Parts: sequence; C-alpha cells; structure tokens
Amino acid sequence: MEQLIEILEDIHPGVDYETCTTLIDDEILDSFAILSIVSELEEEFGVSLTPVDIVPDNFNSAKALWKMVQRLQNEE
Amino acid sequence: MSLISLKFLIFVVIAVVGYYLIPKKYQWIWLLVFSYIYYISSGVKIVFFLVFSTAVTYMTGLLLQKSEEKESTLGKKKIKARKRKIITLALLLDFGMLGILKYTNFLLGSIGSVLGSSVPEFDFLLPLGISFYTFQSAGYVLDVYWGKCKPERNVFKFALFVSFFPQLMQGPIGRFETLAVQLYARHSFDGQRIERGVRRILWGYFKKLVIADNAAMFVNSIFGNVDQYSGLAIIGVLAYSAQLYGDFSGGIDVVSGIACLFGIDLDENFRRPYFATSITDFWHRWHITLGTWMKDYIFYPISLSKWMSRFGKKARKKLGKQIGRALPICIANIIVFLVVGIWHGAAWKFIVYGLYNGLVIGISGMLAPQFRQWKNALHINDKGKGWMVFQILRTFVLVNISWFFDMASNVPDALKMMRYAVTKFEISELFTAGIIPLGNNNPKYIMLVIATILFGCAVLFVVSVFQERGLTEAELYRKVPFALRCLCYVAILFILPVLGAVPVTSGGFIYAQF
Repeated sequence: MEQLIEILEDIHPGVDYETCTTLIDDEILDSFAILSIVSELEEEFGVSLTPVDIVPDNFNSAKALWKMVQRLQNEE
Repeated sequence: MSLISLKFLIFVVIAVVGYYLIPKKYQWIWLLVFSYIYYISSGVKIVFFLVFSTAVTYMTGLLLQKSEEKESTLGKKKIKARKRKIITLALLLDFGMLGILKYTNFLLGSIGSVLGSSVPEFDFLLPLGISFYTFQSAGYVLDVYWGKCKPERNVFKFALFVSFFPQLMQGPIGRFETLAVQLYARHSFDGQRIERGVRRILWGYFKKLVIADNAAMFVNSIFGNVDQYSGLAIIGVLAYSAQLYGDFSGGIDVVSGIACLFGIDLDENFRRPYFATSITDFWHRWHITLGTWMKDYIFYPISLSKWMSRFGKKARKKLGKQIGRALPICIANIIVFLVVGIWHGAAWKFIVYGLYNGLVIGISGMLAPQFRQWKNALHINDKGKGWMVFQILRTFVLVNISWFFDMASNVPDALKMMRYAVTKFEISELFTAGIIPLGNNNPKYIMLVIATILFGCAVLFVVSVFQERGLTEAELYRKVPFALRCLCYVAILFILPVLGAVPVTSGGFIYAQF
C-alpha cells in the first residue's frame, strides 16, 4: 500500500491519498494520470489491466486501487 | 424534418400527447413508431442503413452471448478467439458502411491529387445521423463483448435504442446501460418534468436562433471570402466560436428537452466548455459523449493493448521512467484525436484539426512535471483566481486556433486567416455591402444584428456563470409564479423567430451533417 501511495504522489502530487475517496468523481485524476498509474502498476506489481478494469470504482481511492491490484495478482 | 419547424413541433406534440394517453406498456412501441416516421420523413432510402446497422449489432449481441454460454464445453481460449472474430466482423460491417459512404470520395480525391489525374467519384447517399447511430451501436457491441451489459433479446426494443428520434440526428451518443432502461420503462405524466423539458427546448432555440444563426451570417461571409474580409479574421473566428457552441449545444438542448418530455434523461453533452482551463478540460466539457466514447472504446483499449505495453517498456528502458511512461499515452491521444478529426468530416482540414488537438494534449501531458516545476520556481499560486482566468483565456485562444481549421474551406485558408488575425484588423469591413444577406445593406440593420448576437452571448455568459457556481435553473425559476412562467414561455416562443435569422438559415444544424 505504501508503495502504491508513493506511485500516486509521484504521478499527481498534492493529494491526501490516505483519505481521499473521490479521485475520479472529483476529477482529481484525469485519463493521462490514470494511464500513468496503470503503467506503474504493471511495472511494479506485474499486473495487467484491461479496459473493463478502468472504472471509477477501481480508481476513486488508493484503497480501491490496492484492492484491484491484489485481485489481479490473485487472478494471474 | 428540421428541429426548427412548425411541422416538427406538431409532430412532437402529437408524439407526447399520445405517449401519455396510451397504456404504459406500449409506450416504447409508440416511441419506435414515431422514431421511424421521423427518419423516413428525411428519406425512405436512408432507412436501409439504419436497419442494417440495427440488424448487425442486434445479431452480434446475441452471437456473443451464445458463444459465452458454450465456454464450459469449448474452453475459455476457444471462446475468446471466437468472440474476437465476431466483434471484429461486426465492427468491420458497422464502420465499413460508414467509411464507404463518408470517406470513399475523399480517398479517391486524395489519390487523384497525388497521381495528378482526376479519379471518378461516387454519388453516395450520406444517411442523416449515420456517425451518431454507428458509434452508439458500436459502443453497445463492445459493452456486450467486454461483459459490461447483457444483450437485448427483443429486436424491436433494440431498434428503439438505435433509432430514438430526438437524438438520432446529432446525438448525444447514448450508452445502452443508461439509455435503454429509460426507453423501455413505463413513464407517468409529470407536469414538472414537462415544464423542465419545454424550458430546455426554449433555451436551445434561444442559443440556436439568437446566437448561432445570426453569427452564422457573418461567419459564412468572412470564412467564405478570406481575402475580402482579411481585417475581420479575428471577429470571424470569435463569431464562429459563438455560432458553433450556440448551434451544437442549442441543438442538444432541444433534443434533451424533447427526450425529457418522454421522461427520458439523455447524457449531458456540454458543460460550459469555454470555461475550460486546458484543452483536456475543454474536451471534458465539449461534446462530452463523443469524448467519453473515444476514451472508453479507443483510448483505453489502445493504451492497454499488449503492443503498446511492449512499446512503453522499451521506451522506459531507452528514454527513462517519466518519458517512457508518458509517450505511449501521448501516442494513444494523438490516434484518438486523429479519429475525432476524421469523424468530423472527410477533409484534410479535419485531420489537421484532430492532430492539433491531439498534439496539444499529448505534449502538455508529457511536459506536466516540467510545468509543475516552473510554477513552483515562479511561486505561482495555481489555486488563485488570477491563474484560473489566465488558464481560461489561454485555453480559449488554443480552441479558437482549432476553429480556424474546422471552419475554413481548407488548410491554406485556415493558415491565411490565422495570419490575418494577428496582422490585420479593420472593423469598418463589418459594414461592407453584402456581408449579411438581410437588411438591404443598411448599417443600422447590421448594428442591430450585432447587438442581438452580443445580447445573446451576454445572457448565455450570465447563465453559464450561475451554472458554474452550482446554481440549478430550477432554483432560479421556482421563485416565479407558474402562470407568469407559462406566459414567459409563450412570449419567448414568439420572440425567438423575430430575433433569429430564420429566412436565411432555414433551421439546419451543423452537427446534423455528421
């Protein structure tokens, strides 16, 4: 989780990722940031995402992102 | 049947009255019948293409589901390959039809100009709204393919999803998940909803008739006679900004208002785009349903494809983490906007228009970390109002540059107008004889038309500021008594044609050509 927050802060600094749960709903992350995160997740955690995974529910908070990463790791 | 005609208004009134009088279980059939009557009234031959697109996407949905049901017996891998074949064929048929009808002559003309000889062109029909219903249908089959929605089994219900008449000509591009359920639901008469719909329709007519159609007279003259009106290039593009927004968003307001009368909420297509703080933000506010369609069905699939992932990994190794991460996204962005450009029309100027947008977004995304560093070094408060105003103005200028490509006859004319915009300014040219086809060249009449446009823009601006601040229209209107509100609606309906340039524009919409 810490590693994930580091990634998020590197891509889009200035957000409290521990508490924020509206990263997509409040348009904090745009599509450029989302795909940068995807690229880092693939690199750091060895998971591969498909278009179906790119939904607000998976990207609205660091916690949701972490849950998705764990799910994808288990699937692979 | 134009959206701005008495015939159309009568058509809508009959459709709405009947919709609430018949048993609710037949409402969707009523809508389907009226949708096809509306489409047939624009030409019997073009119905073939609508039916073809409907049949292809309907069958594809069912075939995809049938394949999935066989997964336990045939295995995941085999089914995945089969589904891929089905979706590829469906998209080829859907987009193939659109491509042949819309782009064959453009391709032949381009080949001819490269070879230096004339190539014969085909006299193809371009069915109304084909780009919109093709994209909507393609979105549906991709959603079924990805398992985002279940296919519709009733062919007539599905036909309504593709052909719902208010949105057929110029969108918004609907999603099956949100639109279909509303189309098939049973709706009770709701007076407040009807009033909201009427208000939205009037607001759309206001934008179209008062702003867009009046501005169109100047735009057509200035962009059509670039050298004659060289001193008005800047006014021409500003007028086009107003015209295009008034025309397209006004049309969408009319369409959404009509859908509202049937109890159906269409997806929003505009969110005050000229308040955007970047080109990316602009595309989140302008033609939103096309933008989200492109994002979901082209941008993400390209960016997440295996070949792009391989390219990204190679780029990381050679160019470092930051560029390696951003470069594939930039390329996907440029591809998306190239498609957006081509979607707008079969001409090189639209390709340049798309590439321009893609490059601006791609480069600004790549350089985002550098911009952040510069802002910190210069101690710029990026939360302040001053910075926001600067960003809005900068985006407005960037958008206007793209409008030159969009509206000029060709790329050389667009470049020439851009040069004139910064080197020449001659306001007196506004009163040249013949600049507008109304008013017998009387300067006072020209002044009146300009004043009407400025009045329209001022009203639009004030309303937009209220909306940006989160004030809903219902809050504003609720304070006025119902009887007075109705009186206002009737008055507006009669005043609008007087303020608009109806004799010249005949009610056509720019995006209805797509």
